[in-house]
Amino acid sequence: MGRIPERLALTAAAACMLLLGGCGAKEEPVTAPETPVYGSETAEELYEKALDEDVLIVCTVSTRATEVKESFEKEYPGLSVEIRDLRSPNLIEAVEDAHEKGSGGCDVVLCNDNSGEFKTRLVDTGLVVPYLPADIAPKMKEGMAGSTVSFLVEAELLFYSAENFDHCPVDNIWGLTEERFKGRIYMPNPLNSFSTYAFCGASMQHDEELAEAYRDYFGEEPVFLYGETASECFWRKASGNIVFTNSSDEVVEALGNGNADLGFCVSSKLRYKNLGYGLEPVWKLEPFCGCRASFAVMLTADAENVNAAKLFIRYIMGEAGGDGEGYKPFCTEGTWSARTDVPDGSPVSLEDTDLLIPDENALAADRKMMESFWEEMIRISVE
Amino acid sequence: MRRIFPLFIILLMLFAGGCGASPERPVLHVAMPYSDRVQDVESNYYLGWLEEQTGLELDITLIRQSRSSDYLDALFASDADIDVVMFGNGFEISESELEDYRDRLYEAGGKLYYTNYGSGPRSGAGQILWINRNWLESLGLTIPSDTEELKNVLEAFRDNDMNGNGLADEIPLAGSSEDYANLPSELLLNSWCYNDPWHSRYAPDGSFAADSDSFREGISYCRELCSEGLLDERSFSFSRKQLCELVNSPEDLVGAFTTASVSDVIYPGNTEILARYVHVPPLEGPGGIRNSVRTESEPAVGAVITARSSRKEEAVLLLDTMLTEEASLTARFGEKGVDWDFSVGGDVSVYGGHSTIVTKNYLWNTYQNKHLNGIGPMNVPAHYLEGVTWNGVNSDAEYIDGRAQMSCRAFLPEQTALHERDEELSEYTDKWVRDFVTGEKDIGSDEAWGEYLKGLR
Repeated sequence: MGRIPERLALTAAAACMLLLGGCGAKEEPVTAPETPVYGSETAEELYEKALDEDVLIVCTVSTRATEVKESFEKEYPGLSVEIRDLRSPNLIEAVEDAHEKGSGGCDVVLCNDNSGEFKTRLVDTGLVVPYLPADIAPKMKEGMAGSTVSFLVEAELLFYSAENFDHCPVDNIWGLTEERFKGRIYMPNPLNSFSTYAFCGASMQHDEELAEAYRDYFGEEPVFLYGETASECFWRKASGNIVFTNSSDEVVEALGNGNADLGFCVSSKLRYKNLGYGLEPVWKLEPFCGCRASFAVMLTADAENVNAAKLFIRYIMGEAGGDGEGYKPFCTEGTWSARTDVPDGSPVSLEDTDLLIPDENALAADRKMMESFWEEMIRISVE
Repeated sequence: MRRIFPLFIILLMLFAGGCGASPERPVLHVAMPYSDRVQDVESNYYLGWLEEQTGLELDITLIRQSRSSDYLDALFASDADIDVVMFGNGFEISESELEDYRDRLYEAGGKLYYTNYGSGPRSGAGQILWINRNWLESLGLTIPSDTEELKNVLEAFRDNDMNGNGLADEIPLAGSSEDYANLPSELLLNSWCYNDPWHSRYAPDGSFAADSDSFREGISYCRELCSEGLLDERSFSFSRKQLCELVNSPEDLVGAFTTASVSDVIYPGNTEILARYVHVPPLEGPGGIRNSVRTESEPAVGAVITARSSRKEEAVLLLDTMLTEEASLTARFGEKGVDWDFSVGGDVSVYGGHSTIVTKNYLWNTYQNKHLNGIGPMNVPAHYLEGVTWNGVNSDAEYIDGRAQMSCRAFLPEQTALHERDEELSEYTDKWVRDFVTGEKDIGSDEAWGEYLKGLR
């Protein structure tokens, strides 16, 4: 991305005024912009204005935001941040509730944005705004800034327990259906985790690859009963082995203490290796090992502390130079940077992994089918 | 004006008649402990709900004494008009202590007291170690998996200015003697033998730990930690409140502590402090031993009716109502539909099973006004206690506890010790353990150990 053309900057400024001007007025949100709303304010200007504002409220799905809060408050004395650490579906509800009540209960949102829910309920409705500092914009990788500003790429990924194995015990995803893994595979409930939902949903759009992998694994033509697709058959069989959890943290803990052999969770949990949890990522698996999950940082349309919120977004994106303290807690093993000037935290490039790229629109359209299917899968697992 | 006057009289009579026609609600005088987790008993949702259900008016007297026997002695020495006394939230009384007051209490249906059952899962690990994740990360250390690693970590905590204030004020391992769950030495001994202080150190298989060589070796390890300033000696004298103040200090003073529930130590709403600590699975000792003690929530004394009460029937009505499922769920989770609901669909409980309850607002051990936070009788069925679903908030203490509990499961015995607690024996061993760990007695001395063993017999 090069220098922002003047006309685009003007359009963006107009959009910014339209969107942010309405913040305090609690008007109905306008349609989501196709491009980011570029902000030309410097950190100093924002800080000065933010000192007159109240406590900044950040709704996040990542505990790492707590670290950002601590360094942000040190960097900008006089500013206070309240972190509301929520699971993704609850975060969406919190932002919607705050908007309905007109309470301004959230200024900044940090959330996975691949399930389709984030897009349809917050982005398309204009409840969140893709604010992007103009001096950071040219440094964003392609596809990272549009109607959503993604500041990090992660993956919903298969891991194996290093406590139980010295290498991954499967090289084909159908291996997860083997009897020996009964109760030994952990995965967050996809109905409560956007990144897991995105992976499960994306897998259901790749039936041909799954059927091919079936042939490779079992050496025979697949026979899917009851009119099932290859993915439905795979998940039905795998669900008999899966222990569904509330979050990725439980998966990490089960892998780390050897209670699980394999597990799906967000790749950024690789950082827990530093705390001694024995888990290893599976980057290559036939036909796929997970899916990409980008992480959005957005300003809410109802933000009451707009200047502090913009300053926080600048800070968490690493400031103009990319070396700001706010980005560091996120640039850990198992993540990929959204900026061209900041190296990836992961040693493996995204292109060298077998990760799917989810189609948000298809995922949103399949929501009802997915809900009834996964409720059934969880019932199978519990039985 | 003449026309208006008779109309006024009629209206007045109607109004006065209407007042007299409504039956006055019987007033029940209830004494209950003050709790800093309950905002205002006058407007408390649960108390209001109980009044509505029973048709009683509850006149609440808050007890400020912390010792229940002090209060009961004062109550019965006075002519205070109290019908019901409720217990809970630190203001407790045991069944045996209650015997001293038997002739001044009313036995309803043959029972001297109403039970309280339901403040947490009925069975699980009684003590869990929590460690400062930020300190580990800044030192590049991992969560310790054995006692040797723990010692190394605690040394690093002691020797590096972890909170960066230039003072050597860090407490590597802190505790309190108010509850076994908060006394780190009790947890550490489980890396040498099955050490269950709640059951006078008897194991589920009937064996007695406190006279074994492994018990002595475990104490030696604790003594080593204490003598090197790693285990805070004040753990044996601090109250839980003092421990809480240390752990919740903005100065970031504590490296590790033990507790059954993280919400017993970390103040409600303190999300940054909650994020600071991570649970440690049971530590392996030098002999490969790794235990977690299983405790069961015993029914506690929830409430009594005074013998001199002139409203015994009303008192029974209130307390029986409190034991119903509907009341107990309100007493545990708050207002149905607002703070919680029955679970439908595919949720997973925080303890890993099928969910039964979805908490929308986590209230337990927080400053709230929806229930009494465990004061009074209640009886929450186990499938609800163990079927609580995470509400998606990462700082939900029940969720954090649930994950910690799951890490102990593999090291828990099938059942809790069957041996009845022997107060005299427990008092004796507790005192000697404390003296050995603090160095009052020399654990290395065969003579001192022999003296201890002699006393045991």
